[in-house]
Amino acid sequence: MKKIYIATFVLSTLFFTGCADDYLDVDQTESISTDDVELFNNDAGATQFVTSIYNKFLNWDMTSFGWIGLSSITSDDADKGSSPGDTGTDKDVLDNLTYNASNPSVEGIFNANYDGINRCNQALNILPKLDKADANLRARLAGEAKFLRAFMYFTLVKCFGGVPIVDHLPIPGSDSDRIMQLTRKTSAEVYAFIESDLNDAIAALPEKSAYGANEKSRVSKGAAYALLAKVSLYQKNWQKVVDNCNKVTGYSLANDYATMFRPAGKFDSESIFEIYAQGAVPAKGIEGYSNTQGARGAGGWGWGFNTPSQSLVNAYEPGDVRKTATIIFRGTTLYDGRVIPTTVENETYNYKAYSSAYTDAWETDVDIKYLRYAEVLLMKAEALNELGQTSEAIPLLNQIRNRANLGATPAVSQADVRTAIWKERRVEMAFEHDRFFDLVRTGQAKAAFTADNNKVFVVGKHELFPIPAAFLKQAGTLSSQNPLY
Amino acid sequence: MKNFIFSFLALLLLPAYMSGQAIKGKVVDGTGMGIPGAVISAANSRTSADTDFDGNFTINAKEGEILKISMLGFDAVSVPATTGTMNIVLKESSDTALKEVVVIGYGTRKKVDNTTAISSIKSEEITKTKVLNASQAIQGKAAGVQVISSDLPGSSPSVVIRGLGTALGGRTPLYVVDGMQTDNINNINTNDITSYDILKDASALAIYGTRAANGVIIITTKKGKGDKVSVEIESFAGVRSPLKKVKMADSNQYASFTNSALQNNTFAQNQPVNTDWFDEITRTGSYTQNNVSVSGGTESIKYFFSLGNYEEKAVLNGLDYGRTTFRTNNEYKISKKLTLNQNFSFTSTKSTPKPLGAFTNAYKQSPIVPVRFADGKYGVSRVGADGLVSQTGSAFNNVGNPVAQLDFFDEEQRSITLQGGLKLDYEILKSLKFTSQFSGEYYTWKQYNFSDTKNIWLAANPNKVASDYEKEFPNANLNLLTKGREQYYNWNLANYLTYNKVFAEIHDVEVMAGIETSVRGAREKLTIARKNVNTDANYWALKDVEYATNITSYKDEVFNEVKLASYLARFQYKLMDKYLVTGTVRRDGSSNFGKDYRWGTFPAFGLGWIISKEAFLADSKTINLLKLRGGWGKLGNQNVPLNRASYTSGQNAYLGGSILNEGSTINSQIDPSLSWEITKESSVGLDFELLNSKLTGTFDVYDRNTSNIILNTRPYSTSGITNVSPAHVGEVSNRGYEISLRWDDKVSDDFSYYIGGNFSGNQNELTGLKDVILSPVVGGGLGNGQDTKLLDNTTVGQPLGSFYIYEYAGFDAANGTMLYYNAAGDKVTQNVLNATTDKKYVGSSLPKTNYGVSLGFNYKNFDFSVDGYGTNGAKVYNGKKAQRFSGENIEASLATDFWTASNLSASNPAPFNQVPVASTYYLESGDFFRINNITVGYKLPLQSTSFISACRIYVNAINPFITQKFSGFSPELNGDGNPYGSQGVELDAYPTLRSFVIGANLKF
Repeated sequence: MKKIYIATFVLSTLFFTGCADDYLDVDQTESISTDDVELFNNDAGATQFVTSIYNKFLNWDMTSFGWIGLSSITSDDADKGSSPGDTGTDKDVLDNLTYNASNPSVEGIFNANYDGINRCNQALNILPKLDKADANLRARLAGEAKFLRAFMYFTLVKCFGGVPIVDHLPIPGSDSDRIMQLTRKTSAEVYAFIESDLNDAIAALPEKSAYGANEKSRVSKGAAYALLAKVSLYQKNWQKVVDNCNKVTGYSLANDYATMFRPAGKFDSESIFEIYAQGAVPAKGIEGYSNTQGARGAGGWGWGFNTPSQSLVNAYEPGDVRKTATIIFRGTTLYDGRVIPTTVENETYNYKAYSSAYTDAWETDVDIKYLRYAEVLLMKAEALNELGQTSEAIPLLNQIRNRANLGATPAVSQADVRTAIWKERRVEMAFEHDRFFDLVRTGQAKAAFTADNNKVFVVGKHELFPIPAAFLKQAGTLSSQNPLY
Repeated sequence: MKNFIFSFLALLLLPAYMSGQAIKGKVVDGTGMGIPGAVISAANSRTSADTDFDGNFTINAKEGEILKISMLGFDAVSVPATTGTMNIVLKESSDTALKEVVVIGYGTRKKVDNTTAISSIKSEEITKTKVLNASQAIQGKAAGVQVISSDLPGSSPSVVIRGLGTALGGRTPLYVVDGMQTDNINNINTNDITSYDILKDASALAIYGTRAANGVIIITTKKGKGDKVSVEIESFAGVRSPLKKVKMADSNQYASFTNSALQNNTFAQNQPVNTDWFDEITRTGSYTQNNVSVSGGTESIKYFFSLGNYEEKAVLNGLDYGRTTFRTNNEYKISKKLTLNQNFSFTSTKSTPKPLGAFTNAYKQSPIVPVRFADGKYGVSRVGADGLVSQTGSAFNNVGNPVAQLDFFDEEQRSITLQGGLKLDYEILKSLKFTSQFSGEYYTWKQYNFSDTKNIWLAANPNKVASDYEKEFPNANLNLLTKGREQYYNWNLANYLTYNKVFAEIHDVEVMAGIETSVRGAREKLTIARKNVNTDANYWALKDVEYATNITSYKDEVFNEVKLASYLARFQYKLMDKYLVTGTVRRDGSSNFGKDYRWGTFPAFGLGWIISKEAFLADSKTINLLKLRGGWGKLGNQNVPLNRASYTSGQNAYLGGSILNEGSTINSQIDPSLSWEITKESSVGLDFELLNSKLTGTFDVYDRNTSNIILNTRPYSTSGITNVSPAHVGEVSNRGYEISLRWDDKVSDDFSYYIGGNFSGNQNELTGLKDVILSPVVGGGLGNGQDTKLLDNTTVGQPLGSFYIYEYAGFDAANGTMLYYNAAGDKVTQNVLNATTDKKYVGSSLPKTNYGVSLGFNYKNFDFSVDGYGTNGAKVYNGKKAQRFSGENIEASLATDFWTASNLSASNPAPFNQVPVASTYYLESGDFFRINNITVGYKLPLQSTSFISACRIYVNAINPFITQKFSGFSPELNGDGNPYGSQGVELDAYPTLRSFVIGANLKF
């Protein structure tokens, strides 16, 4: 008997020393292990990693309250809105250009874009490993990821100037990757990186028409050319602007300006890059986008932020159809018959964020059209004018004016046409998250803010937002703050 | 090994050719009762024998040869063998400590030979206080063991042994119930427990390795004994009520205070209704417990059966709890060398929980609101133009009707726990024993919660009718049924050898070595929510009905399995009964961690010196025992946040149509080197018995340091990773001392008494943090946007569980507004405070010291005992009081003493209408001293021949008195048991109860 026990004991000890380590390999069941790459090794699996990037554009931190604050409330197009006492955390300081490096919206946009960039890098990292997925599909998906990464770096460089370029997945503990993540590059380096990504995207992406009805919001070759044109515009590479605008083909202006921002205008002939939102259950829209900008007070449905300014109202020429397509005026009736009672708190609201079917929902069917063919025409007009081909620029400008029910521009000289194009950009693209950056790009900011209730735009400072203090704390001596913050 | 086997064979063969003869005899105690199991050894003949159940023995020895007779707890005697039947009387050892045995894990040790800090609590101490969970009963009875309990039926107390050494990891000690390693002992009937041993210092704990850092509590359940059937019955019944209530303002006080806050006359004086909401939601609680046990033994089988039932109708209306336990523990002596122990327990519980938020709502709801209106509808907080409550008036606070809240809350939970095991002991050689122990537990739980959504809305809106609901919420649920199911199966298997031998009479060596595996099976949890179910609960689950379209939530979770593989060894050496050395080592591998970081070694040693056995003290009459002991050890806590790289799913998007595309990415950057938290402890202790062992006591000091506590860190902002990553970043120190003293005296046969107490202090501090980006631990939330606790880079130097709030600076004499100190030391109002710079650390919810006292006497057939418990140094936050911002009720003390233009010297600020920031205004001292238990018992004088062999009746008062500084209900606030959660915050808290119990024990 005892022999049996001794033998059992010895055997079990052997068992333990022999394979205890395998014994301790427990399969995880509560979340999908990154070891199981094989689960994604098919067409649908590969697609998921790029879908998550598109998903990022629906997030609160990426596209909603903070982004509205940085790209719109700061500008002369919009005021903070809402109740006087409701700061929306920091929208009052954004409106007044008195933000500092601890500003939550600024930090939110910085972090959200890097969150998106991580999703791009994750996709670019895993796609080559998914060898059972269709090679053409994987190439296209990589192109989409690169376009989207370029788009996010463009947002970062517009907001912050040079930022760290994280072009691959950092390995924790690697010193070179630590330096990569913490060292700001120059704006020129960031622009070069964006262009390189866009050129890769152009090579990999199909035309918009190649996508089926369920995939219209995927980025296309045309989108990449349009973004490359815009990136060139910001660098004043006028000939490149013209060249790339010329390659944006297959698009035309939509007939009715107002319809573009309603469900009926989704993916119309003018849409080049559009963030697509769905309000029907299960809803997937831009979180809080309609609600934060909805009319506030009795008879309203939202928080009432980002209200069109008097300066914008005044910017429209008489008869411009874009005015009432962009601005909800208190006491008027909307296209769907909704009456905005006079009891709401603010005189004006952003019409482009209004959802008829899901008015007070957190996630609605309101899209954002980040790139439209109208802007391609305006960019081309601006570049041609800068290249001295003013007469070729004027017809392009007039196309935009005609659609808005306005006559041809009276401007003739290069300087007047330049001003006319800038003004046209303002009224054509109001509340499309472009105005603040356009003011800085064109050097109009100082004058525009003085005109807008005497807000103080410090030249040399306010062209850029502050680098978030939290990041600088991490970076130590590797990175420094933007001037005058 | 060869030598052992050889000598074993020799032992077997020797008697065959020895010219010995059979010497017979009987070993008895002082009263003439036979002593079973005594060992008789004949040194010359090299034979030995055990006595049987009646104390009889037969041994082969020569006449005149010296026989040594020894038995645990008795003084050994040596007598020459005689041919006639020998009668040997053993005297009980006067050294009480010698008799006592402590459980040390994978074995036992005589208390006197133990070098470590272990508190042993005996069964009578555990059953004396009539509570459900044994850990609540031991409060105040073991130095260095802090128990924070709640009288909420079915709740588990927090047990902190020698200070808290973790922030995010598991805090509960490891419970070892008859070898089963588990987290909770709510399934154990306290009447079945024979001993409750608390391993406190690292030197004792290291044998449990990577799960020992929070201490280990070893629970041993009863076994059969004696040779005849013994039946015991214990029954009691008791009534329970809150120990302390808070006096609230009455209707007219409320009306005038609130008018003053609103600066108008919204509320009329002479209110017709004056509701005491606390009374409305509570009742006199009652509880009963009945236990029957049958035990006994024969030569080959010892058996123990018990059946117990506990039923409580809690003080909160509708909250009921019941538990039924069944246990069988049997020991089979299969052969002389082979013993099999089997134990099995079955526990089923049933409860109807009620939301504890009702206590907060009862505190906050205005007394002017009736429980029900005259038409039968529930009262609501709406005030009409006449200043009285009306169904159609305007809302003056957002507090629900607490009675309606309880009435509508419909939930039931049931669970079954099966726990049991087999233990095989095989005596390979006289000195070598092999033990194999398998234990397992299976748990299954089910729950339903029915929310009558539409009627709840109608009750809150008495001015609306049923059709309004559909009109206002066209797509809303009419009701919602949530069903939950949960189960798991855990097991462990240990195999070990124990070798024990005395060499040359002075070298006593015991060596234990073994292997063990523990598996925490995957916990499975299913939660389904279904809308618009039949209003009759009988028809919620019809045969063949498809419910898919009504499902609003379906969660099916299988949590990760955890496996542990271990090697363990212990060496214990005693030289000349005076010098003690213990060494243990355990090597653990845990599946929780990465391949290269999963194995750890946990060594410990202990030293002891029984000074009283030295020659210079041997004759001392005053010093009966003096023992110095000390040790060092290393422990682990593997119950830390998970660290597994995984895909993040659910990042879905439509891409142009109505197909929702799945999206996945990786949003974590894990630290592959994450492993257990490591605690190292050095401790020294002194045990003594003085004055004929009347005065016994223990002193202990310890210094324990957890060097790598885990907190969540954030990767660099630009990594884009938003999930936190647990990493080893902090260091926590716990230093403390423990003192226990007890005086026992037997004045006469009729009268004996004792008085004892213990006191322990612990200093807890976060001593260091690495320079990393921390994800702060923010806790103690009040549900109104205010948090009261913080752990981040600024916490270094503070104790864990620290409150981090603004410092109240009194109120502005000019207008009665509350003021607070900002960082510069200026008094400012709350709207200009800076959350990042102006808050301060103002003490922890964990006490610095705690103490227990007990005294008692026996006089003839009466017994009397009192136990008390107290703590010092803890802070508690009056969370329910801090909730008021508009029309909530106030305490009576405030209603008569607040700032007005004509009462500038009031002690409270002017009434206000905003959410107050978390500040020291609401922070109070948690110090208290409470009498936990008073027992008076009487043993009926019974004829020894009567059918009933013993009967004792008793009355028991639990928590009859308390002295506390806290103005709320109870300063003992376990909350969710988390020092960074609701622990120490009185909000939605179940009050401490006072109970009176009458009961009887019968023995047949």
